Amino acid sequence: MRYLRPPGAASESKFLADCIRCGKCGEVCPNRAINFFGFENGLASLDTPYIIPREQACMLCMKCGDVCPTGALQSIVREAEDIVAKVKMGKARVDMNLCLSYQGKTCGVCYRACPLQDVSIRVGYLEQPQVLDACVGCGLCERSCIQIPQAIMVIPNRKEA
Amino acid sequence: MRTWQRHLNKLRWISLCLVFGMLVLLPFLHLYQTYIAAHAYDLLPANERQIYDSMEKLTAPFLSNPEKQLDAIKGTTWSGTLFGLKLSDPLAAVGQAAASMKVYWPFMLTVAIPILFTLVFGRFFCGWICPATFLYELNDNLGTLMRKAGLPITQRRLDGRLKYLVLGIGMVLSAAMGAVLLAAVYPPAIIGRELYYVIAIGGFGGGTLFFLMTLVFDLMVARRGFCRYLCPGGALYSLLGRYRLVRIQRDVANCNDCAKCNVVCQFGLDPLRDNFGQECNNCTACIAVCPTDALKFELKAKDAPNQGPGHLGHQYRKQQQKSEIAEAA
Repeated sequence: MRYLRPPGAASESKFLADCIRCGKCGEVCPNRAINFFGFENGLASLDTPYIIPREQACMLCMKCGDVCPTGALQSIVREAEDIVAKVKMGKARVDMNLCLSYQGKTCGVCYRACPLQDVSIRVGYLEQPQVLDACVGCGLCERSCIQIPQAIMVIPNRKEA
Repeated sequence: MRTWQRHLNKLRWISLCLVFGMLVLLPFLHLYQTYIAAHAYDLLPANERQIYDSMEKLTAPFLSNPEKQLDAIKGTTWSGTLFGLKLSDPLAAVGQAAASMKVYWPFMLTVAIPILFTLVFGRFFCGWICPATFLYELNDNLGTLMRKAGLPITQRRLDGRLKYLVLGIGMVLSAAMGAVLLAAVYPPAIIGRELYYVIAIGGFGGGTLFFLMTLVFDLMVARRGFCRYLCPGGALYSLLGRYRLVRIQRDVANCNDCAKCNVVCQFGLDPLRDNFGQECNNCTACIAVCPTDALKFELKAKDAPNQGPGHLGHQYRKQQQKSEIAEAA
């Protein structure tokens, strides 16, 4: 199962040890992007928050980090520099065989959905998207992709820093 | 004049209902916030529009900007924000420290106030706030009805120290797994979570089954058994409240040995023989039921030793007569 942790989460092991499963991150999420695990991801992940970007992506409002009592999600200022530096949910990847723009049909929806335009994603000829290193993995591009299945998807990053 | 303290039980029920009511209301308020944030009232289906309308009616007299202002109250009794004040359950801090093997001070500060209250009042959380207690006491009433109807109810006595073992094992397992496992077996945390899942997300999580099992345990094994014998949070509160400053004490001069206090105590304590101890959750049922106002909260760091039969009872009168006869002889 491909899932993201909410923004501000450190590596998976540190996140699991810090999170007390209070559910407040989900309770402040204005986009209802944060859902909670049952037993499907193992006992250690029980009741921890996750995001499936194709269903509902993160808007990078950074409210969850503010409300998290334990520092499992660190508090991040809602500014581009801070977000790019500290949010490491994952990185988007374009599947050129599926992407309409790479098939010659100008699209560019992912670029327009990105909250960090030209910082995290760039478009070139025929609006062909190019994901840059600053991508934080919020998943709004994946959420908005008009192809089925999606031509751009976020590869989660939950490894040790 | 009779003591005002016999009304504390009613006050406690108001408190329990308030907490439980808030836990039900908060997910709805969260949904309301998300509907506002989406600017899509016209697109909401009928049931969601109903939630929107009712929450709007409820909050409109108090709030000018509910989307922002409702962030002031969030969370559950496990960890919550109350008008900017972050409060957490001490068990959450213990579990988190065990799982992550370090102390995160901003979080530790959020449990300071609950711990302070526990040092003074003992297991006040269990009796006055815990949303699970709300259901367990109703469950206990159900047990009474079942017994009257002749259905089998078992009230076994187990060792009260079992819960300290549960707390210890929970901490060790949390540390071993590197995850706060205690959160999964702690009823108030489960209830807050499950209410949110059911209302805001849809569908129960795994905790509901666990909680139902504890209800059956209470009916079929021991009265209020989970709180008394298994709850890790109860264990922590008992330990912290061991030298509590405010405790219920028996005034032997007013006691008439009616033993109603012992019958009404769901925790199986023995007020009649001055055994209160660290388990008492301040439910004050014994104070409310006492016909002679012999039980009262007092400022005292230790329980009185057994004071013998109450002076209004006939056992004490017999003793007196015997000693008078002995003196006369």
